[in-house]
Amino acid sequence: MTTQEFQHTALRGSMDPSSGVTTLTLAMPGRANVINAEFGDGLREALAWARTHDDLKGIILTSSHRDFCAGADIDRLFAMTDPAELYQGVKELGALFRDIETSSVPVVAALNGTALGGGLELALACHHRVAIDTPRTKFGLPEVQLGVIPGAGGTQRLPRLIGIQAATELILQGKELRCAPALKAGVIDALVEGEDELRAHALAFIANNPRAKQPWDQKSPRIPGPQPGSGDARNMLMAAAGMLRKKTAGVFRAPELALSAISEGLAVDLDTGLDIEARYFVELAVSDSCKDMIRTLWYGRSAALKCEGLPIHEGPPFKKVAIIGAGMMGAGLAFVCADAGYEVVLKDVHEEALEKARAHFESQLKRRRKHLSRPERDAIFARLTLTLEPGPLRDSDLVIEAVFENLGLKHAINEELEPLLAEDGVWASNTSALPIFDVGAKSQAPQSFIGLHFFSPVEQMPLLEIITTANTSDAALARCLAFCQRIKKLPVVVNDGYGFYTTRVFSAYIMEGANLVAEGHDPVLIEWAARAAGMVVPPLQVFDEVTLTLGVKANEQGRNYLGDAVDSPGMDLVRALVAEGRTGKADGAGFYNYEGGKRRGLWDKLATHASSSGADTLDVPALQRRLLLAQAVQAVRCLEGGILRSARDGDVAAVFGIGFAPQTGGPFGWLDRQDLTEVIAELDALSSACDERFAAPELLREMAAEGRRFFDTPRAG
Amino acid sequence: MSMLIFLEFSEEINMPAAMIYDAVRTPRGKGKKGGALHGVRPVDLLATSLRAVADRNELDTSRVDDVVIGCVTQAGEQGACIARFGALTAGYDQRASGVTINRFCASGLEAINQGAAMVASGFYNLVVSGGVESMSRVPMGSDGGAIWDPQTQWEVGSVPQGVSADLLATVHGFDRAEADAFAVESQRRAASASEHGRFDRSVIPVVDRSGLPILSEDEYPRPGTTTDALAKLAPSFEMMGRQFGMDALTKGRYPHIDRISHIHHAGNSSGIVDGSAAVLLGSEEFGAAHGLKPRARIRSFACCGSEPVIMLDGPLPATQKALAHAGMSIKDIDLFEVNEAFAAVPMTFMKHFDVSPDRVNVHGGAIAMGHPLGATGAMLLGTLLDAMEDNDASTGLVTLCIGGGMGVTTIIERT
Repeated sequence: MTTQEFQHTALRGSMDPSSGVTTLTLAMPGRANVINAEFGDGLREALAWARTHDDLKGIILTSSHRDFCAGADIDRLFAMTDPAELYQGVKELGALFRDIETSSVPVVAALNGTALGGGLELALACHHRVAIDTPRTKFGLPEVQLGVIPGAGGTQRLPRLIGIQAATELILQGKELRCAPALKAGVIDALVEGEDELRAHALAFIANNPRAKQPWDQKSPRIPGPQPGSGDARNMLMAAAGMLRKKTAGVFRAPELALSAISEGLAVDLDTGLDIEARYFVELAVSDSCKDMIRTLWYGRSAALKCEGLPIHEGPPFKKVAIIGAGMMGAGLAFVCADAGYEVVLKDVHEEALEKARAHFESQLKRRRKHLSRPERDAIFARLTLTLEPGPLRDSDLVIEAVFENLGLKHAINEELEPLLAEDGVWASNTSALPIFDVGAKSQAPQSFIGLHFFSPVEQMPLLEIITTANTSDAALARCLAFCQRIKKLPVVVNDGYGFYTTRVFSAYIMEGANLVAEGHDPVLIEWAARAAGMVVPPLQVFDEVTLTLGVKANEQGRNYLGDAVDSPGMDLVRALVAEGRTGKADGAGFYNYEGGKRRGLWDKLATHASSSGADTLDVPALQRRLLLAQAVQAVRCLEGGILRSARDGDVAAVFGIGFAPQTGGPFGWLDRQDLTEVIAELDALSSACDERFAAPELLREMAAEGRRFFDTPRAG
Repeated sequence: MSMLIFLEFSEEINMPAAMIYDAVRTPRGKGKKGGALHGVRPVDLLATSLRAVADRNELDTSRVDDVVIGCVTQAGEQGACIARFGALTAGYDQRASGVTINRFCASGLEAINQGAAMVASGFYNLVVSGGVESMSRVPMGSDGGAIWDPQTQWEVGSVPQGVSADLLATVHGFDRAEADAFAVESQRRAASASEHGRFDRSVIPVVDRSGLPILSEDEYPRPGTTTDALAKLAPSFEMMGRQFGMDALTKGRYPHIDRISHIHHAGNSSGIVDGSAAVLLGSEEFGAAHGLKPRARIRSFACCGSEPVIMLDGPLPATQKALAHAGMSIKDIDLFEVNEAFAAVPMTFMKHFDVSPDRVNVHGGAIAMGHPLGATGAMLLGTLLDAMEDNDASTGLVTLCIGGGMGVTTIIERT
């Protein structure tokens, strides 16, 4: 006896006898549908139920949630450490998806919202994909961003559907497409307006394609673009390998193995291809990198975005934000704030600075042309006020002081303009190093004084390091967190101290680069070692970008707080370069040579500035250790000194703020992978050979002695 | 810092004699549509050399124990053991069996070495070795292979050969002007050798079924090439190196190289051509008994693997190994043939062994005349032998760089 309704915890089914079409609606408990064992069971049972109807003409798959399905159950993926168990699970899911597409009836994915990862892979195993056109809907296979590859057929079906080049780009970069580009790329087949049209379109497809078959299940399957095995396909894959390495320096295994899975899978039939994919998937999913990336880039990031464990602001939001200092940072901030809907006043004492800021603002607006209409852009521009006078600052809810790093100047500005703040308004300094307590020494409202450390270029950099002093009130912090969420930055809250967290770790990084040069090591190897260790930007390159002059200034300023600890052979080298006029990229010469603003190789006379001959030249692995250890030691000191609230914050801030090797999950994750006893021995050796900067923090010694780790991360045996 | 790891090759090997009785080759035709030999089936191209070596030595081909033929792209018309069908096409007795081998660019020399080993083993009396490649009809790379797999890239490392050549030049500090000067000299030597009839003894015209000539001399050389003319050529591998990331694929192995100088181009790299060659090898006793007069003996040979990304410095360890086997030093060699796959290859060889350019590739090389992959090794042996006879030199060495990072070297001695 067949029924018209089906119910499972993961989804519900209903049969419309008039059309013979069964609708399976994913409706997993919670806010979203995820791919896991429960989902698999539900879908399997639902398919079996649907097939009990003799008059079944077709199946529509859709969702009761806002999204269609956002992908794998990350919790399960994170916990999984047994390759055999994982392989079996992947194979079962693969067989289920295969069962869907080899059904005797057409199956349509009616995508009411976003389909990512396993969600899109499910849709790719349907005969037709129709989606509701909304601005927030996205499609993609972002798996590589968490150190893994698509494991439910994505690397096999997508290239067969849209061609090798387009699929390789999407999968290797983990790119997400909005509706129109997804349609253009062929990832989806049709876009419609609203639920009714979605259903009507799906029903029409079923009616018109009673014998729907996947392209790869046709007799002599062809794929768009170059055919597998052709010279063109081969060259394309080779170029993809080259360009990937160029970008990633071989640090990320996931996109590399994704390319292998695509290439090898296309040489065989789909079923064999799915098995090839499954084996690469399993290898990656149980790897340390995958676990570490999930921990930081998924759990750590989402916790930070949700401001977990931080005070919540319930009062009225900021309306008016004043920014003082129209330099690069001030101008960028003005745009970010106006774009987020704030009324913005940008003040400077120089007319030209304001003019430059206006030009910057306009060029940023121009770049948004594709996404914003003229009136929308005009509205953003209308929210900006440029001023030389203090008057327009009156009643600002938030003042962000972004003038250059001079304590006296910062005090004077604070004293002059603080009275203009609205009641309970917050005064923030965007200093990148000076202790907030000192910057706020003259403030009449220390409870509302805070540090907001943005990163440059502020339009692109995701992190906001928020610094609270002992005086900063929870209310002020909460209001800033709400502000941070509205401007879509990732907040990490730290306690006060010279250099806070990110600046201390970042300085340790670039200074270690300079130290290694000063010791006579090959600068080409130093830069490569950093990249091969996973650092997003090599130290000498980024030193040139922040300017060597800034390094010298910061060093002088740092002496007030850190004493002689700021002296190093690297600093002597940087001073010598500045004295020769090699101040960095902006002036056309630093560690590198430049032509028309483009890097033209490292300066070949750097070796002449080395204080020692470099007789014991370190090899790449040794250089990598130095560059990462210098940062990790600083990170641990920040944790034991109470600047960091947690190791998790430290990892998130290092990865998103300064581009610390993402595949390690951050400096704490990197330490966690190692035998700490050996690390301590290494640090002891380094601190006697180099200097105090490598002195092992007590916390690390304790952890080594007790066999403790910073995180409880699942590890494969 | 060289990636070469030199082994200690100290053991002298006492190999029973394998004699070289003769060497022939076809002229080399431009390896593209419109090239003189493009209309010739590869099997006919091979048969031309096989027929010539048999005819002019009045061989009883039923006594040929094997026909060992080097051929790199064993696909399409060159697939399915072209050695066997080449021998039958040439009219060899059916008892003369055939085997086709692939050691990439050294296949022709490898065929000689394997033939020599068969003879030296005492099991075989007479072997015809050689090589064939119709690059115009069976394009390079059309046989596929693991080298194209992304996974090979991650696990082994491999870049297109031209990028390796540019890397080799960068590592050894050769610049574009030096490479171009080398190329101009190769052209000058080839033109002079041709003009003075230095190739006449070896080159067999390719003819049609009526005996009408199709090609009688090398088609590829550009006599009178100047450095000014070469200076105008665009680097061949810069775009794939820089834009398509091939240079980045070398960085893991050569981290100290900041930027590869892309110095190679069509004018200082070997030409793509069609051609074949054959060499008659046999034991001393068999030759004496059958009225064959040896021109030289194989003194030693060796092959050796090298680092696969830079790929092209295999001649160095292979040569050291062959010298050690022969109990010789580099100074004991009178003349050299070092395949001009790319200018940087012989330049590296000369620099490494401190050999005078006067003794290397004295009749020009593949930059001027072309490099028909599977045949080149056998052609070079013949060219060397001719040059040794012309110059009354007693010892000669031939070596080639090889895909995947290998080298093959053979040392010969006139009798």
